[in-house]
This record gives sequence, C-alpha cells and structure tokens, in this order.
Amino acid sequence: MTGFYTRWAMMVGGLLILGMMTFQQYQHDLSTTSLATLIKSTSTSEPVRIQGMVKSGTLAGETKQGQATFELVDGPTTLAVVYAGPPLENIRELKTMVFIGQLDADTKTFKAKDTALINNFGFVTAAYLLTVLSMCWALFAMSQRVMVLFKEIKDEKLYEPEIEPLAK
Amino acid sequence: MLNRFIRYIQRYKGWFGGAAAICIFLGLYTGLLASPPDYYQGELVRIMYVHVPLAHTSTLAYSVLFFGSIWYLWKRDPLVDNMCQAAAGICALFTALALVTGSIWAKPTWGAWWTWDPRLVSFSVLLLILGGYLMLRKLVDDRESGGRYAAILAIVGGIDLPIIKFSVEWWRTLHQPMSFSTRGVSISDDMVIPLTLMSIGAWLLFAYMVMVRTQILYLTDLLQAKKGRLFSQTHFSQTSP
Amino acid sequence: MPNKNRKVAIAVSLLLVAGSLGYLALGNFGENIVYFVTPSEVKAFTSETYTKKVRVGGMVVEGSLKTQPEPVGLTFELTDGAATIPVSFQGIPPDLFKEGQGAVVEGQWNDGHTFRSTMIMAKHSEDYMPMELKRAGVELPKKDFMKTLAP
Repeated sequence: MTGFYTRWAMMVGGLLILGMMTFQQYQHDLSTTSLATLIKSTSTSEPVRIQGMVKSGTLAGETKQGQATFELVDGPTTLAVVYAGPPLENIRELKTMVFIGQLDADTKTFKAKDTALINNFGFVTAAYLLTVLSMCWALFAMSQRVMVLFKEIKDEKLYEPEIEPLAK
Repeated sequence: MLNRFIRYIQRYKGWFGGAAAICIFLGLYTGLLASPPDYYQGELVRIMYVHVPLAHTSTLAYSVLFFGSIWYLWKRDPLVDNMCQAAAGICALFTALALVTGSIWAKPTWGAWWTWDPRLVSFSVLLLILGGYLMLRKLVDDRESGGRYAAILAIVGGIDLPIIKFSVEWWRTLHQPMSFSTRGVSISDDMVIPLTLMSIGAWLLFAYMVMVRTQILYLTDLLQAKKGRLFSQTHFSQTSP
Repeated sequence: MPNKNRKVAIAVSLLLVAGSLGYLALGNFGENIVYFVTPSEVKAFTSETYTKKVRVGGMVVEGSLKTQPEPVGLTFELTDGAATIPVSFQGIPPDLFKEGQGAVVEGQWNDGHTFRSTMIMAKHSEDYMPMELKRAGVELPKKDFMKTLAP
C-alpha cells in the first residue's frame, strides 16, 4: 500500500520537475516581445525576439542570399524590418515569423540578424498534457481497482496464498 | 486458487511498468528539452513524439486483439477472452489519444483540425469498431456467447489494419507517408532518439496496461463466481490450457 | 436494462461496426470517393461540373505566389507536373504553406479559368531535421512526397 503511493508520488514529482524545466527553458530562450512594447522601449542595446506577420506586398530583396526588407504586422502595430543574415528559407508574405535583432530608435526600423520559427507552444503543451494526464488517470484508476479487487477476494476467503507460487 | 497466469502477471508486471516509466521519462526529456526544433515546423515537431508512438501502438494493440480473438475461438480459454477485452479497452484509449493529438498537430501545420483524408478516416473507423466491440461486451449477458460474438467482430474488423497501414501509400492523401521505410529514414538522428524512446515506452506501457486490465477482468469474474453469479468450469481451474 | 432495449443496443453496436467497415469498403476500395483530384483532372472538367465543390492537390509552382493586401488574399499556381491551374484564395493561408511544397485546396473551378478556393491545407513532407542541418545543405535520403500527389 505504501509502495503504491510512493511510486505515484515519485512519478508525479518527476513529471512536475520535467514540466518546470521545460517551461523555464522555453521562457528563457524563446519568449518574444510584442511590437508595441518594442517601439515604446528606450533601451536598444539588447537583442530581442519579435513576432509578427510579414505584410503583404512589402517583401523585397534577395531572400535566398539573406538580404530582405519588409514590414511586420502585429495587431495594430506595423514595423519596418531590414534583414541581413543567414538565407531566409521559409519567408513568405502573410506568414507569422520570429525575428531576432535590435531596434534602431532613430529611424524606427528593426535590424534583424537572424530568424526563428514561430513557437506554437499552446498546441505542443495541449498535446503533451492531454496524453500524459489521461494516461496517468487510466493507470491510477486501474492500479487502484486491482488493489481493491485483491482485497475483496481475500475477504471472500477465496484467495489462498500459495506455498510455492510458481511451482508447476 | 488463482490462475497461474494471473500470478505470473502479479509477479512480473512491475518490470514492464518500471521500464515503461524510464523510457517515457527519457523520451519526454529528450523530446521536450534536448532535441532541436524542425527547420520547417519549428517546435510543433515535438507533437510527433507523442502522436506517432500512440498511433502505432494502437495498431499493435489491435493486432493483439485480432490474434487473441482467433486464439479464443480456437481454444475457448476464458482468460484469453479477458485478455482480448483488456486489449480492446486499452487500444480504444490509445486510438482516441492518437486521433486527438493528430488533430492538435494538424491545425497549425495543415491548417485544419480535421479533413476527410483516407488515413484519418480509416483510423477513426478503428475507434468506431472498438466502440462497437466494447458495447457488445457490455450488453450481452451470457459470457460465453458474448465472448464468441465479440471475437468474431474483432476478427472481421481486422481488415481495417492493412487499410490504415497502407492508406498513405495506396491513395492520394494529405497525411505524410511513413518516415521509416525500405527507402530509408527521413528523420535526422537527433529526432530519432526521442521518437524511439517514446515508441518503446508506449509499447511497454501498453503491455503493462493490458496486464493490469486482464487482472481486473479476471478478478471481477472470480468475485462474481464466488458470489454465485457466474459458473465456469475452466476459468478458475489450476491447470493452464 | 429491459431485454428489448438491450437487443436494440446490441443491434446498434453491430450496425456501427458494419456501417463503418462498409463505408471504408465502398468509399475507398472502389475509387468512388477520391480525397483530392489533380490539376489535370480539373482541366478536364466540363461546364456541368464547374460548380462542383472539389479538393485539388498539387505542388505550388515556384515564383507563382502573389499576395494582395486589401482584401487579404493570394493567388498562385498549382501543378501535378502535367497540367497547371491558377488558384485564388481570400484570407491568410496556413504558415507552412510555401512555394515548391505540396498543398490541397478546397473550392470550385467555377468559371473554367481560375480555381476559387475557400480553404488551403499545406502538405508537408515526412522529412524532419534541425535548422543547422538544413542550412548546411544536408539532404535526407528520401525526397519524393510528390509520389502521393500523383495518381
């Protein structure tokens, strides 16, 4: 009985630690600043990650060579971006993307040095949580049912402990 | 008084459960933290590490049900019948989760939660077949005939398995084809590691869950028999088939 | 549960299985229902079938994608290697939609010149690799997802 709860406590603890580690890594590495906050901010020395949709009809330049200019839309805010960096394999108008770089406060343009993929955390989290939680629920319910059944059968005086359980 | 196999299960199931837990923990760690995002899908590729193992474990589970049903019709061992029923229930859980995670993956990548793709349709049919199977088991009072009908139903439903497997090869489909095939592996090594770990973990988890569920069904029957509600000669005898 | 209800329920569960298997057998075995048609088949449509709602699958032709800001939408060409059709769409396509990749569009070939699509679905290949490998120009052994787009 105690073994049962120890095992479950270990499992839940392990899952919680894993979840917290994941959350921290993503929060640290992959969180993005919204365009509205970026434009208002005064400090421009730190590189930031911004996310937005490439506005239709604004993409120009040699994307395969890693040179491009375009406008990024995030809600009501629009920001001009000058990109110079690794080849832009995946860029397309009307696509939501993440860019890493700094804001030039004088010209109000964003100097992007690299690109990243949009982080659909919601979907990933939903898939993992759903699977892990339903599996845990099923396992917990089943293990408990087995314990209850063994106890009931013992009470019915039907279960006779074997002297040599595995002897033929 | 307990059946020999039930005692074996009680003794050895912990190894399967423990191994499954280790594999899945390592798989979750590599899948969520240690593996890189995909060049095109980004972080969404991580959904693959739960979706793919769930999906092919559910076809494995149905194979267990299929061959178990043949075995039951041949030998009429009630314990095999319990095992079939257990496999069907667990298979339904895996299938439902595979469908839901697939849907969650499809929305941001394809752009739709659901589409009438041959792979999706044939896989959903598996869930319908299992639903019918479990309903039949619940509704037929007589154990012997109920088990027989259910076994026949499971065997007939088995034609869905090759359809699922080859639906992405036979017909035009939106679903991506198999990444592991005779033509080679089209997943980079960093991503094969979590996928393999989670797959092995899912198989072991399935084995463990079937063992526990078989125990539940057997013990329930045993309790019923003790209370005089079920009469079966072979079920609780010491001799194994 | 009364005996009669029980029998009805058993019949329902059997019908469920028989019906779903029958759907598979009729829908997929005989090629009555095809998940999508190819651009070549669309070109063969006559004026009677223009208004039929169909799904068309193919590759998005490189360099054919044009977007418009107001109202938001795009036009591109879809090919199966043999024939190419122009497609128009209003709205924002899924993020994985890209030139040179597969796509399945839903809509009508209503005027016989342009395919008016109401939904775009992006097909992606079974290749998975990290960004560093992609930028290093690594090609994985298999690159033939056109196979499932061609009949």
